[in-house]
This record gives sequence, structure tokens and C-alpha cells, in this order.
Amino acid sequence: MFILLEIATIIAPLFVMAGIGFVWGRSGRPFNTNTIGGLVVNFAVPCLIFSTLTRLQVSISDFATAAGIFSIAVALNIFFSTLLLRISRIEIGAFLPTTVFANNGNMGLPLCFFAFGEKGLALGISMFVVSATANFFLGISFASRRLVLRETVLAPHIYVVLAALYFLFIGVDPPSWLSNTTRILGGMSIPLMLIALGVSLARLEVRKVFQSLYLGSFRIGFGFCAGLVLAWAFDLSAAARGVLILQCAMPSAVLNYIIAARFGRKEDEVAGVVVASTILSLATLPIIIYVAIHGFT
Amino acid sequence: MVQFSQLAAIMLPVYIMIAIGFFWTRSNRTLDTDLIATLVNKIGLPCLIIAIFSRIEININETQKFVLASILVVLIGGVISAILVHLFKFFSSSYLPVMTFSLTGSLGLPLSLLSFGEKGLAYGLVFFTVTTIGTYRGGGATAAGNLSFDKLSREPVTWSIIVAVFLIWPGFSLPKWIIDTTWLLGAIAIPLQLLVTGSFLGRIESKFHYRTVIVSIVQLFVGFILGILVAELFHLSMTARAILILQATIPVIILNYIFSIIFKCESTDVAEMDYVSTIISALALPLILAWLINNG
Repeated sequence: MFILLEIATIIAPLFVMAGIGFVWGRSGRPFNTNTIGGLVVNFAVPCLIFSTLTRLQVSISDFATAAGIFSIAVALNIFFSTLLLRISRIEIGAFLPTTVFANNGNMGLPLCFFAFGEKGLALGISMFVVSATANFFLGISFASRRLVLRETVLAPHIYVVLAALYFLFIGVDPPSWLSNTTRILGGMSIPLMLIALGVSLARLEVRKVFQSLYLGSFRIGFGFCAGLVLAWAFDLSAAARGVLILQCAMPSAVLNYIIAARFGRKEDEVAGVVVASTILSLATLPIIIYVAIHGFT
Repeated sequence: MVQFSQLAAIMLPVYIMIAIGFFWTRSNRTLDTDLIATLVNKIGLPCLIIAIFSRIEININETQKFVLASILVVLIGGVISAILVHLFKFFSSSYLPVMTFSLTGSLGLPLSLLSFGEKGLAYGLVFFTVTTIGTYRGGGATAAGNLSFDKLSREPVTWSIIVAVFLIWPGFSLPKWIIDTTWLLGAIAIPLQLLVTGSFLGRIESKFHYRTVIVSIVQLFVGFILGILVAELFHLSMTARAILILQATIPVIILNYIFSIIFKCESTDVAEMDYVSTIISALALPLILAWLINNG
């Protein structure tokens, strides 16, 4: 009973915020995605990254360990996803990103925060940075069929991470005007991301139900296993292990749909995978959160 | 003495966020003000009110005194502004680009939070609520010809205030997940309001008339003195006193519009008044804050 309550407390804020967005989207009220998306990507998320990393909850080695292990998880994902797609004769170029890249920002960050507090958020962000960079770079490269570095190099979060690492490295707190500004602006990111997630889910439709469920369950299932194996192999601390498992087992990222739509690569079917995996995660989340916090005991 | 870095820690975040909104709009990117207004008014502010009053311990007597003091400031301030506006034969305009958010919200709340912490924010919210209800009812009455409680009861802010009143009583608290959720959602209110304020400044091409500048400065002074007097009258505690003076100094911009209707005066436009008030208060507030921190 207590465990159920604990898990419900972690998931409820997420559901309420995404639910607000979902109801908003379904009610047909206008929701200007450019405004919200622009603010989130350019200001809110970079500020959240800077402010969380510099609040000295993590050391440089914590950051590097989390980011490094998560990169291995992404690599494993790419390898096995390629195998799966090839065996199932599904177009790799269009669908590989959907099974590899998870919703580490929208959904992963609030969960890490609710389950493991500030420290969890900092570790979750270390992984999110890897995932977002790789998602931009590989996602756009796959969709446009050539290596595109422009978007990756222009993304603000890379520079913000460097700035945060600089302060961590010299061991000085950033000046309080900077930490105040980034804390306030960063505070917008989780609620706005979740509301926007709800709106997009309300607007997307599932096409090819079977394929969507198939790829969606692979995303969550394989990610979960990869997270477990890596957490076991690297002998991580409790919080780091939990955050790794959570972040690896997130549903497919909405960014995959945005990139697919921009390059016109089967965006309807990609949307299907995103929605299907998110719906699946409604069922899998309680289990994943339980394992992330308590292990298998 | 107040140190420069201390003041910078309070003012720079406000200036930076206004600047972001300003340049975002000037570079012709979209900032959907209606959407942001809905997010702030229907979700952000109500959640912020519930979250802050769940988190802090606040004295009931002190709060009651503060509410009465705020009402007094708003009433007297309203009358004085009316006289001022009449004296200088201000404005009427057929169109209504009144700022989306009042300055007691967009400037007052972040300054209350940054200078006096969460307790400061709580008092700042109380004052903001009093001005909002005051001007909302005043404004609605002028436009529709009668007072509308019906409309007020449909605003989420009204309900959040009722919840907050319960929260002030000791022994009443909300479940943790509700506090978590409202805390996170409430965090959008302050930055979004500042961005929209910046965007407003970026959109309006306004000329400065010396009259507008004078009235703005006088309003600021009158508010400041009024705040000090009322704070003395009610023997407010340190934080409450500082926030009352700070918020009283910030011009209640929507009055510009309301009184221009009431007195059917004519001349330039309300947007200019709003524009000038915003800039002058943004420039004057560091001085007032420095004074408040020194005399705190």
C-alpha cells in the first residue's frame, strides 16, 4: 500500500501537467507551439541545465560518469535497433530514431526529479544532454540522408553545459545574478515541456497500430533491459542507478516526430510510434519507477 | 550599505528577462501573448498562490493586517491617481492596448521573491491579488455598467485565494503531490510575465511626452510615501513593510485606462502611459530597493 502511494506521488504531478496539455489540445483551443517551443528550447532548458548543474549537487566526475554510461546505452540501442528493424524489414532511416531516442527531457527530467530530488535531476540532465545532442545530430542526419552538423553545433545546450562545467571545474559558485536568472527561467521548462507534450499527444494520431506498438514496446523494453544491465555492470550509486534505469526506459521522443515532419519522412507512422510508446509507458511506468527506486528486492 | 552585487542579484534577472522578451519580439519571432496570458492567469498564478502558502509559515494576524493595509493603499492610491489624471487632463483612446499584466505582478512579484525570499513573495502575492480584484471589479464595472461577481467566480485565481485562506490556518495542509505539482506549475508565472512585459516594450513604438513622464514620476513618489505611511499606521513587521512599500510604489497601470474612461479626458494614448510607467519604474525600483534593504 505504501509503495503504491509512493509511486503515485511521483507520477501524479506528471499526469496532471501532461493532462492539462492533453485537455487543452483536445478542446481545440489554439496552442502556439512555436512560442512555447521557442522559449523552452532557447531559454528555459539551457537555463535549467546550467542552474541544476551549478547548484553543486554533482561533481564533474558524476557528470562524466552519467553522460558516459548513457552514451553506451545509446550505442547499444542503435546496434540492436538496427538489427531489429533489418530483421522486421522496417525502413531503418525513418524509424531508427524512434526506437533509439527517448523522451529524456519532457518526461525523463520530471520523473528523475520527483523520484530522486535535486540530485536525481542533475544526473538526469547529464544524460539528457547526451540524448538531445545525439537526437539532433543523428535524427536530422538520418532524416536528411547526410551528416548534418549545423543544428547540433547551433543548439544552445552544448555551450551551457560547457559554461556550467567551467564553474564546476574552478570550484566557484556563479554570481548570484546569474544563478537567480537561470533558476527562474529554468523553472519554466518542466511545466511547459509537459503541457506541450500533452498537447502534441492530443493532436497526433496512431497509424499502423501493430507496427507502432511493436516498435514502442521495443523502445521501452529494450531500453529498460539496457539500463538494468549497465547499472549492474558499472556498480553505480543508488540515485545514479535509478536515474539511469528511468532515463533508458522512457517512451519515444516527440522530437523524432518534429524532425520527421520537417523532412517529410513518414511522419504519420513516426507519430504513431511516439503515441503508442507513451501510452504503453502509462502501464510500464509504475513498474519502472519501482525497480529504479528499490531494485528487485 | 547595500552592495552592488546584492542589488545586481535582484535587478539583473528582471532586466535580463525583460530584455529577452524585447529582443525576441524585435527580431520578429512569434510570442503569442494571448496564449501566455492564459497560461499565466489560469494556471501559473493560481498554482503559485497555492504553492507558496503551502510552503511558508505565515502569521494570521500579520496577514490580516497586511491585507487591510494593501486595501487601504489601493483605495487611496486610486483616488490620488484619479485626481492626478484629471489634473493633467489625460487621455482617452478608442483602442485598448493595455498591458497584458499589471506591473505589481510582472515586476512586483519577482522583486519580492528575489529581495525577500519566499515570504516576500507571499506578501507580494497578497498585494497583487488585492490590486487585481480591485481593478478587475472596477474595470468590469466601468465597461459593463455593473459589478460582475459572476465573472470573478469563474477565474481560477479566485478559487486559489480561497484555498490559500484555508492554508494560512495552522493544521490545514495539502497532500505532497498537490504541493509539488502546484509548485512546478507556479514557476511559469514569474518568467512568462517578464517576457511578455519585454515583448510589450518591443512592440510599442512610443514617443515620450514630458507630461507622461511627470505623471509617472509623481505616481511613483506618491505611492512610495503612501506605502511608508500605511506601513507605519499598521505597525507591519519588517518583510511585510518592505513588500508593502515596494508594491505601493509600482504604478497600477490599469488605472491609467480606467480613469481615462471615467473622466472622459482626451489626449495622447494609454499605451504611451503604460510604456513610460514601465520604463520609469524599472529604472527607479533599484533605488527604492536599496533604500528598503538599508532601512530594513
